[in-house]
Amino acid sequence: MTGLNGLSSYLLIFVAGFAGSFHCVGMCGGFACALGHDPRGRPATVLRHLLYNSGRVTTYLFMGGLAGAAGQMAMDSMTSPLGGSLLTGQRLLTLAAGVLMVVMALQLFGLLQRAHAIGFAGSTLVLSLRSLLRAPGPTAPLAFGVINGFLPCPLVYAFVAQAASTADPLPAVLTMAAFGLGTFPAMLMMGGVGRMLQPIWRQRGVWIAGGFILLIGLITIARGVLPLASHGMGH
Amino acid sequence: MAVASENALCSHCLLPTDGTATRRMVHGESHHFCCYGCCLAFQVRHGIGEESEATWLLIRIGVGGFFAMNVMLLSLLLYSGTFEVADQEVQPWIHLLLWLLATPVLVVLGGPFIYDAWLHGRRGRLTSSTLIALGTSAAYGYSVVSLLRGDDQLYFDTATMLLLLFTVGRYLEAVGRARAVRSLAPLLEAEGQWATVLEGGRELRRRAREIAAGTLVRVRPGERVAVDGLVRQGEAHVDEAVITGESRYLDKAPGARVVAGSIVLDGPLLVRADTAGTDTRWARVCRLVRAALAQRSPMHRLADRAASMLVPFVLVLAAATVLFWSDALPLEQALLIGLAVLVVACPCGLGLAAPMADSLGIGRLARHGCLVRGGAVVEALSRVRVVAFDKTGTLTQGRPRLAALETDDVDPSEALALAAGLELQSEHSLARGVIEAAQARGLRPQAAQAVTVVPGRGLRGTVAGREVAAGSARWMAELGWPVPADLAARAGQLDGAGHSLVHLAWGGRVRAVLAFDDTVRADARDVIDALRRARLSVVLLTGDRPAVAERVAAELGIDQWHAELAPEAKLAALEDLRRNRGPVAMVGDGVNDGPVLAAADVGLAVGSATDLARETADLVLPAEGLHILPWILVVARAVRRTMLASLLWVLAYNAAALSLAALGLLQPVLAAALMAGSSLFVVLNSLRLERLADPAPVGAPELRAAQPKMSSAKARYQTSA
Repeated sequence: MTGLNGLSSYLLIFVAGFAGSFHCVGMCGGFACALGHDPRGRPATVLRHLLYNSGRVTTYLFMGGLAGAAGQMAMDSMTSPLGGSLLTGQRLLTLAAGVLMVVMALQLFGLLQRAHAIGFAGSTLVLSLRSLLRAPGPTAPLAFGVINGFLPCPLVYAFVAQAASTADPLPAVLTMAAFGLGTFPAMLMMGGVGRMLQPIWRQRGVWIAGGFILLIGLITIARGVLPLASHGMGH
Repeated sequence: MAVASENALCSHCLLPTDGTATRRMVHGESHHFCCYGCCLAFQVRHGIGEESEATWLLIRIGVGGFFAMNVMLLSLLLYSGTFEVADQEVQPWIHLLLWLLATPVLVVLGGPFIYDAWLHGRRGRLTSSTLIALGTSAAYGYSVVSLLRGDDQLYFDTATMLLLLFTVGRYLEAVGRARAVRSLAPLLEAEGQWATVLEGGRELRRRAREIAAGTLVRVRPGERVAVDGLVRQGEAHVDEAVITGESRYLDKAPGARVVAGSIVLDGPLLVRADTAGTDTRWARVCRLVRAALAQRSPMHRLADRAASMLVPFVLVLAAATVLFWSDALPLEQALLIGLAVLVVACPCGLGLAAPMADSLGIGRLARHGCLVRGGAVVEALSRVRVVAFDKTGTLTQGRPRLAALETDDVDPSEALALAAGLELQSEHSLARGVIEAAQARGLRPQAAQAVTVVPGRGLRGTVAGREVAAGSARWMAELGWPVPADLAARAGQLDGAGHSLVHLAWGGRVRAVLAFDDTVRADARDVIDALRRARLSVVLLTGDRPAVAERVAAELGIDQWHAELAPEAKLAALEDLRRNRGPVAMVGDGVNDGPVLAAADVGLAVGSATDLARETADLVLPAEGLHILPWILVVARAVRRTMLASLLWVLAYNAAALSLAALGLLQPVLAAALMAGSSLFVVLNSLRLERLADPAPVGAPELRAAQPKMSSAKARYQTSA
């Protein structure tokens, strides 16, 4: 059971990821640039960035899988004491995920103050990333991507929330895969092309992404609130 | 890697490594580490070069994480039945893929744990690494066997996630510990400090320990001075806080004295060292702090004993759990429950609580120029119920001040000038008071000849052609020089009020009486008030006369005092206080009250420099540092409270987690996450000590206000990174 219906939902997420990646270009794109060119030529450079992005997307998939499993567990635990009222658990979960997505969307619009959560773990993460940037060899970009994936990012959180609302690992992983693949083109482009995009376009990308996330969030909330008939059941 | 000697400090977190250290060469230097996490974090922090091992270790975490996450993803999908829809023939290939993905994780992330467990196991020691290595290898081995037999009971996900969680947990823990004792670093690196040395017109980089007396050292802005010496060239502001506790920046020009350990803020200085780099005050302080850190407090020892017993206990419990459950459940489930037991126990937290809190406390005190002999002192200090003060030089300035000058028909200035001339030849403490008083009035001491000093009496000599004597009334009586009745009466009054008197006589009779008092320190009253507010009894013990003791006690608001105490009587009084009221802290100047300081539960010496090694005191305050005494007690109590809270948490956690795991109510991966979280809790809880307020520079330090609040602590950590 997915938050939206079938392929179209993944397409929507892919587009949101693509638009959102212009936000990434501002932040993680800097990393991609810093990873730079491999002196051994173009194929090596492409490999470097492919590895970096695979590491990053693997982390997204992992978080998605965990979120899906956690959603499933949460739903099971909410459902069983209520004597099979699957509906209540599913609704609560969907509602929570939807609200979280709307909050993230508002953050992307700059309408909500972002929580300053860069604490102990955050500073450690930053420290770790810095030393990895310049390391040669194919393993460093992979490791870099893996750790990069854990950096706090409202875009990622929004889709992890969406993944959790599916309450099933497979669609949860697919959700994150759609998002991750959406961010692929821009991030890959960053490696080769550098900072081509003007800040104003990056800003527009962020707004578009925020719009999509808001849309998906509202749909998710609606699915939690509207009567049963409006969405398919099947567990 | 080899096992290190006792008393070495971990290069990364500066906690005592306690004989279980591992030694490693990093950048060509030998370092001790208390755990794998610290080794990891140290190399991350100090690796600057591209091929540094640090980066390599992070790559390990990243790459290990990549494979571990893939294993987890596949397993999640496997559990949720994704592949059941597909052909049954796919499943074995997925299992094989899991094996392929999990093996690098065991090598990359599990290797260090296995190596560590083996190193200690060879010496018959069991550590938390033993538990982790055993648990994860067992899960991996079992999975391989069942894979080869065609079963589908695979626990590759458990094994890999355990390793990932433990590695990341240890890394974070090590970073947290290093942050906790970061403040200690400048107090430990004295001899290893780099300095720029001028030799034959060339500049060379040398370590402080290789610098001899007489060497010229150039110190650039922002650098730490590595030697004690005099400024030869340049002018700059320096920060001496680490050494003297002086919080103001001091201006140093050619000829001025700079001390090793201070930081030059602006302009370069050229300094000529007047001692070897290993003999500076800073180096001595460093050795003391190192010794203090290596000394374990009773609580620390207790916790270590418990931790060393926990590991074998857990091994036995895990085995018993598997045996128990294997009756009722299939073997693989019983093994899984045993695995949860293995990885949920947290001996690290137990071993961490005491040294973290002690080190933070000692470091905190040291940064304010207050040196402690060790964690045991901090612990004893937190229990103190009575603070006993010696008077002279502790509550008073130990410097006599001329309070009154009574004369018999002579010019006071003439009397003072004569007295000063005579006293120039004396080393008595009152002599300094006479000379200072003369100088304050702009009088030139007259030259004295043929001076003889009679200890305990006074002195006599020829000043400006006159036979002059100065000293006690008894000395005058022995000389046979009379005191005029009127002067004697006035002297008697001053004596009764607790002043110290110097009789001055010439021409065959006493012509003046100089009355001195020992002024009370400006901060003494506030200190006494703060101690009383902390509900401590304050007592004055002095060898001085009752009149003096009464005057000082009244001035300071001390209601209990004992005067005219010979050293043995002071010891008896101390014993009495301890019996009736509880542990006693004795505060003295450390010069002539050594036995009393040694006899007290905690002996504190004010202003006796940094020679703690030769002192009998347990704790040394900087010269003008009496005002931080209440703060020191606050720190000691906070250290103890923090330590108890951590230990209580760890014990409760271990009891609860082990029971839940043994009952089969805890997934191994969840257990591992809880375990890593438990150590982190101890680190974060101890870090709260960093948030203690600094001592108030002057005025009354509020004891209660300085204590941190538990509830808001977490929020504050997040904003402070």
